[in-house]
Amino acid sequence: MSHSHGNASSANDPRQPSMAKPYTPRPVAPEDLPVDYSGFIAVILGVTGVMFRYKICSWLAIIFCAQSLANMRNLENDLKQISMAMMFAIMGLVTNYLGPNRPATKK
Amino acid sequence: MNPSVSIFSIALIAFLCLHHRVHGSSHFEGFDAEDDDVFDDSTELHHSLRPPLVTQSESTTLDLEPPSESDYTPTSKSDPPSQTASKKPSSISFDFWDEDEFEGLPEDDKTTDSPVISENTSPADPQTPDPESASDALDSAIPKKKPSYTVEIVCVSILIAYAINYFTGKRENENLALTWASKFGLKDTIFEKNFSLLGVGEGEDSPLLLKEATNVFKFYASGRRYCHGLLATMELKSRHDLISRLFNSVVPCKDEISFEVYMNDDAMDHIVFAMARKKAAKTMLKELRDLQRFGGLVPVPFGRKWVSEELAVISESKEVAGDMITEVVLDQVFGDKSFEKFGKNFLSLHFSDQHPGKHRKMLLFKFALPDAKHMDDMVRLVALIPYYIDLVGRYRLSSQARNKTEGARQKAAHEAYKELENVRQEALLRKKAERKKILEEAEAKLSAEALRKKEAKERARQMKKSMPKVKMSRGH
Repeated sequence: MSHSHGNASSANDPRQPSMAKPYTPRPVAPEDLPVDYSGFIAVILGVTGVMFRYKICSWLAIIFCAQSLANMRNLENDLKQISMAMMFAIMGLVTNYLGPNRPATKK
Repeated sequence: MNPSVSIFSIALIAFLCLHHRVHGSSHFEGFDAEDDDVFDDSTELHHSLRPPLVTQSESTTLDLEPPSESDYTPTSKSDPPSQTASKKPSSISFDFWDEDEFEGLPEDDKTTDSPVISENTSPADPQTPDPESASDALDSAIPKKKPSYTVEIVCVSILIAYAINYFTGKRENENLALTWASKFGLKDTIFEKNFSLLGVGEGEDSPLLLKEATNVFKFYASGRRYCHGLLATMELKSRHDLISRLFNSVVPCKDEISFEVYMNDDAMDHIVFAMARKKAAKTMLKELRDLQRFGGLVPVPFGRKWVSEELAVISESKEVAGDMITEVVLDQVFGDKSFEKFGKNFLSLHFSDQHPGKHRKMLLFKFALPDAKHMDDMVRLVALIPYYIDLVGRYRLSSQARNKTEGARQKAAHEAYKELENVRQEALLRKKAERKKILEEAEAKLSAEALRKKEAKERARQMKKSMPKVKMSRGH
């Protein structure tokens, strides 16, 4: 640190308490936030899982839901998408495991 | 977790509705199919006596479903609904057949006795080739074939690993951020000596760090000469996220910390200066607008100590570059020898009085964060920050250089103004065109109406004209 106070004028205290301004968080527009790809993938996989009754899709949707949940920044904004994806994923799983075996899957 | 419970309940309700619908519809589907089957069987029977066997095997091996659901319908009146016929399709289907025509079949004696017995025997029925298709109808309690579990096991274990990794990774990131903060933000540390206010809150013991996401931390400092604030943003690896972690093991990335120093307007002269490794410098020159506009790569000057060969310097003029790269800096970090030792965590620095956005005069520093044990490695790098704040704050361009930069800035401002004007004009023109279009449309509508009216009038007149003539002709 000695190098930063090379000459005499900078040897005195650089601090100026009177100039201190408290931190004001910059407002971030929702569209500036990084895109939640995992949530998007989760929704798509969830819908595919329900529509075509692929249980692997529903499971992957749940995993991507977890990722999206872990990376969540803006609570209200992302929760909508996540809850939708989660609903689709769970619905897909429930229909898959508890639903009747339809003949359509055979043919 | 209230929302999750509600989500689950909604999903459950949705499933129940769906389930009922599907179940009901399958009834009818099966019923129709069964009718056809029976009809086919009977027609075949007319041809010969033996076919029953053939049809039997066909119905059981080729397609299990239609008979199963069809059987459900005839027996449903007598059987309670809990006795699902879909469990044992083949056996009950025999039951249905033998009443009609196939009494003489020797093999079916067991199965034709009664539906209850047939249900008991059917699991061991050799004629059901695919136990999975027969059993996974309604209750998941019936054990399935082994391979069908692999997906579930893998997925559930991934989820569990994800959850564990989330908590451990989160703690790892927090530890790293806290180590940094305690190294540089506590008493008798670099920031404490240079700034009067530390931390994101107000008051004496405000928290030093602001956690913006699981892997983003902010540190704020203020109250120093020449600048009105410093904001450090730590963007750590997504350690909490298993998927990105796996991805990062293929494509490695670093923990980064970037400092934004907001300079006072009167404390920073016309300076556009940046330094980074050669490759990064090229992309900076391409992508950052102020560098693109004002800066250029500075060649290595003769007869002067200069920065390490790995680094490239971008500046508006040689003068600024020469004044920003002082002996002290070369000695501490950027010289050939010291850069080898201390420069591995250096990413870039970028000073400009022309930053786009709210704060135009800003110093940006970007470093890589070492891991918690090697935090000392970046002491010299962080010490650059107050040094450069003082250097830039005190720095004044020579009048000659100032004229040049002044001209360039005026030109840029003029261009920006022009651009703005252009945009405004374009918007105005567009508005005008739109208004004109609307007017024209209205006019066209009006004129069409007028035309129609005119035509109607004309027609009426013609009618009037022709009427008397006819009358007259009649009168004659």
